[in-house]
This record gives sequence, structure tokens and C-alpha cells, in this order.
Amino acid sequence: MEPRRSFLTRFVTAGAALIGAGVAGLAAAVAVPRRRGATHRWRAAASMFDLPPKGPFVATLTERHADGWHETRKSMVVFLDKDGDEYRALSATCTHLGCRVAWNEESGHYKCPCHGGTFNRAGQVVAGPPPEGLRQLPVRLNPDTAELEVDL
Amino acid sequence: MIVRLADWLDHRTGFRAARHHLFDETLPPGTGWAFTFGSLLLLGLTLQVVTGTLLALFYAPTPDHAWDSVRYITTSVRGGHLLRGLHHWGASLVVVTAVVHMVRVILFGSYRAPREVNWGIGLVLLHVILAFGLTGYLLPWDQRAYWATVVTINISKLTPLAGEFVANLLRGGPDIGALTLTRWYGTHVLVLPPALFGLTALHLYLMRRHGISGPIREREGIPQPFFPYQAARDLTVALVVGAGLAALAWQGAPALEPPADPTAADYIPRPEWYFLGLFQLLKYFPGRLEVVGAIVIPGAVMTLLALLPWIDRARSRGLADRRWLLSSLAAGVAGITTLTVLGAMDKPPASDGTWNVREQAGLALMAGDTCTSCHSDSAVAGSIDPQRVSKPRDWVSSHLLDPEMISPGLREAPPTNEYDNGAILAALARGRSGDLPTLSAEEAGVAVLFNRNCVRCHTLGTVGGKEGPVLSTIGDRLDEAGLVRQITAPLEVKPTGDMPAFFDKLTPNEITRLSRWLASHRSTTSSQ
Repeated sequence: MEPRRSFLTRFVTAGAALIGAGVAGLAAAVAVPRRRGATHRWRAAASMFDLPPKGPFVATLTERHADGWHETRKSMVVFLDKDGDEYRALSATCTHLGCRVAWNEESGHYKCPCHGGTFNRAGQVVAGPPPEGLRQLPVRLNPDTAELEVDL
Repeated sequence: MIVRLADWLDHRTGFRAARHHLFDETLPPGTGWAFTFGSLLLLGLTLQVVTGTLLALFYAPTPDHAWDSVRYITTSVRGGHLLRGLHHWGASLVVVTAVVHMVRVILFGSYRAPREVNWGIGLVLLHVILAFGLTGYLLPWDQRAYWATVVTINISKLTPLAGEFVANLLRGGPDIGALTLTRWYGTHVLVLPPALFGLTALHLYLMRRHGISGPIREREGIPQPFFPYQAARDLTVALVVGAGLAALAWQGAPALEPPADPTAADYIPRPEWYFLGLFQLLKYFPGRLEVVGAIVIPGAVMTLLALLPWIDRARSRGLADRRWLLSSLAAGVAGITTLTVLGAMDKPPASDGTWNVREQAGLALMAGDTCTSCHSDSAVAGSIDPQRVSKPRDWVSSHLLDPEMISPGLREAPPTNEYDNGAILAALARGRSGDLPTLSAEEAGVAVLFNRNCVRCHTLGTVGGKEGPVLSTIGDRLDEAGLVRQITAPLEVKPTGDMPAFFDKLTPNEITRLSRWLASHRSTTSSQ
């Protein structure tokens, strides 16, 4: 190949690759969502006097939540319970496929209505398909307000 | 290994023959830089398709959310600022390149037989490109977009016989609103693209069928293949223009104006720059003659262009043979350029960016107890950030009139009045784009007073009623003491006046503060 032709061939190939890479880079930057860092914050979930003597207390925490250009509300159901002197907060979201588990007073278990996942009061799997126990959330008692606060 | 894989693929797809057919076309000797604009246009259109697709991943074509989603793209999406800049400036690039390409075709006589049909397809493509520009302009749903569309649709009413029908078709309903937005969005992303792809494919097919027209006078020499010789020229132009486009896009698209507000009747609309010539032309045909500027002249120009291959009866493509035709082209280009420049110079007075007194009053009210008793970081409703308010204006309006309606039983509704509510709505609208100003406590207090008591009748700066005198430079005529007398008991100053007295509506202290502030509004130091 004559030298001019081979130079131009390389020039065109490189230039086209440059433009293509630029556009592809922009497309990737735009289309791949940003990862959002988890926000840690203590939220008041219930008063310590709300806890029933038997069984856990069901607290629903609703928060405003930025959803792209929209703002929506997100709820999270938490079981608050006392284990000896320690407070315990369990997420009500089943670790199998994300249904909401409910406390069953008779059996003393958390049961998932979808596929029968069963957890004991401490949140450990007793039966059914869930791969792991209910997620345990950090919980503390705010001595000033007597409120139980959880960190989602 | 790679060669064997390629052989295997070639055997099944014939891609080598296709590549040869696409890239190794021989071009007439002397085909040079003038023939690079078609490729540039193709690249520009491709970029518009890519950036437009990416924008569509985030855009919501509803009046409640269009503006928010565009702002979200600009401020929160990674690369979104650049993306919107590219799509905005890319649109201008496509229009300019299409026109330059067309002028090249006319100069070189490339529209002549046997290329008449391809010339016609090119003209249709130009209209498709302009339709993209027109429909895309509405989508950000800010004031500029909305009011430019109002003008477009009013112009469409001038269509002979079917004016109201055409306007209705464009609006999708009796008013410009949600139905217009979805209609124009659907057209922009679903109707025009297939038309563009199909016509472009046809345009390229016919280009290859007849070959490049080449230089005006045939030259001796060996025909060279497109790749890499002409491709290198195309690429060089693309890189230079692309660098310019990237530099423009890096600055982003023009900032969003406040969200579309159909009640802001004093807004002065302007079209995108490539329609400015048409916009200017209309000004010379007032009243019933408007149809001449809007339809007859542009229609005649387009008809002449479409008939160009048959109008041109010259012996050859030579410039000398087509002198009269090329002079008309030069005159046409000069005319359109002049109109565009005149249109660009005829700008409405730019607002100086300060908030008017109503917006200031609204800002002051939002910072006061009325709102913050519920809206703050620690209270029930979360603090108000005008940039994040995504509720429509009507919702905010009814919430202001009766907060109970939105959150029943939550707490007692604070006392409000229509003037305060109007001010809060104005401040929220204004605050959605741009930074919030900081007001001193005195400025804030006086703005609220003025907005409650005066703005219904008196204009100050850009806002106010027309019943009373304009107060923008009232300090030139009255000093503080004079204003105190005027406000306290106007009939004692001028017994025949219409202005009500305020001694029983405002405290003496309020009247003094208001008067001192008004007296500072002089022609030299006119703020607002």
C-alpha cells in the first residue's frame, strides 16, 4: 500500500475510534446509575412504653424519599422487641423474596405469607426457603425522649 | 484465527462485499472539501439520535414533571449537563450543516438531472429536521418553550381555510397543555425518527445510484476510492466541528427558565435562532397581511426551491451559465441572514436577574412562621426547597388556601390571604431556577407589606396592577414625608383621587417603613 494511503487509513480508523469512544463513554456515564451512599441516621420508631408485654411491636416508618426528579414516600416495617434488657429491631422484609412477614402470636414465630418462611423471635430461620435470618437493625433508647430509635 | 473467524462470518453474511460496496466507491477526480458536509450532517444526526435516546431515559412528558425531569438531567445525572448541551447545540449544528450542504448542492448544480428526485428528498429532509427543532423546543416545558409554542400554534391558525383545524391538530385539544406535550413528544421521538431514517436511507441510496456529482468542470485524473481519501477529509471536518460542538456543549444548554406558566401573559416569547428570520419577517406583515409573511413567502421560497431543477434551463453546471440563478441564491441567503440578524437584535429588555417585589415577599413569607411551623427539617412536613418542589402549581395553590386539605387534622391552618399566597407561588416558581437572593429583615418585611397592600393597583418594576400610578421611580416625585401623607390619607393630598386611605389598615410604623423604602426608588438607583 502506498504510504499516503496507509497513513490516511490509520488516521480515519483512529479518528472514528476516538469519536466512537467519546460517544460510548458519554452513553455509559449517563446510562449507568450513580451509586448512592447509604444515609445513616437515627429515626424515632416508637416510644419505649409502646412495647407490648408479649410479642413485638410493629412500627411503620415512612420517609420522604428522592426518586430521581420525583419525590415519593417509602415505608419500612420494623419489629421492636425486648430481649432481656436489650432492645431488638428486626426488618419485616423476608430475606427470601421480599414479602412482609407477620408476627404469629400463637406459634411465637414470624411467618412469611408468600412461601412459608418462618423465623423465630430472634429473627433466625426456623423453616422454609429464606437463606438467612431477618435483618437486624441497630436500635437504641434515647434517654431524653424515651423513644426507641433505629437506623435503617 | 481472526482471519478464519472473519472468513467464516463473510461466508455467511458477505460483510466484505458490503464493506467494499459501502466504502470503496470511486469518486470523480477533484471531489474535495466542499463535499464533506453531507457526511458531517449524517454524523450530526447520528449524535442527535444517540443523545436524544439517552435523554429519553430520564425525560417525562407531562406538564407536572417535564420541567423537573429536565432539571434533574442537568443537575443530577452524571454527564447530564454535557448531554443536554450536546443535544441542544447539536440541533443547531444539524440545521446549519443542512443549509450549508444545500447551498453547496445549489452552487455546484448538483440538483440537475438526473438528481432531481434526490434534491426533492433533501428538501423534505430539511423540513423533517426543522420539525425536530420545533417539537423539541417545547419539551423542557419552561416559559421559553411554552410561549414559543403558543406563537407557533397561533401562526398555524393562518393556514388558509383549515387554520383552526391545523391548530387543533397541533394542540391535541382546545388548549396548549398536557395533550400538546405528549403529542409533540410522541412526534419528536416516534414519528419523525422513522421518517428521518427512511428518507436518509433513500437519499444515500440515490446518491450512490447516480454517484457524487463532483466538481463543476470535470477534471482529468484517476478516480480515488471514498476510503480512505474522502473519508479522511470528512473525518477532519468532523473532528474540527466536533471539537467546537464539545466546547459549546461543555457550557451546557441555555439555563432553564421558570416552569411553563400559562397565566404569565406578560412573557415575551422568542423562537430558537434558526426560526428568527421567519419571526422577523412576520413583523413586516401586520394584521390581515400576516398570512403573507407566515405562509405565502416561506411557501413560495420552498416551491421555488423544489422546482429548481426545472427552473434551471442553463446549458451546463458552469457558474457563468447560471449567473442569474446564483445571484438569486446569493440574494436569498443575504435576505435570510439579514432577517435573522435583525430578529436576533430585536431583543426584549433582559430582566436584570433580581427578584421582583412579589417574589421577594413570597420568599420572606416562606422563611416566616406561617410556613416553617410545619415545614422545617425537624417538623412534620420537611423544609421547603423551591428547587425540589415537584407539586403542580394548582396543588400548591390549594395547599396554601387550606393546608388542612392536604394533611387533615395535622394542625390548625395558618391564616393566609390571596396576596400572600400569590407571592409564595411566584417565589416558588422563580426559585425553581437559579439561586435564592438573601434579603435583609427590613427588605423582607417591606416587600410583604407592599405585596399585601399596594401591588394590586401599583406597578413596581416588573409586577403590579395598572389602576394606580407606576411606583418604580416614585422617589423622584415624592420624599418619605410626602409618601407618608399620601399613604395615610390620600384624599387630604388630592381630594379627587381614587386611592383608599391606609391609616386604619397599617400601623404608623409600617407606613413609615413603606414610605422610606418607596422613596429610595429613584430613576438613577431604580432597583427591582
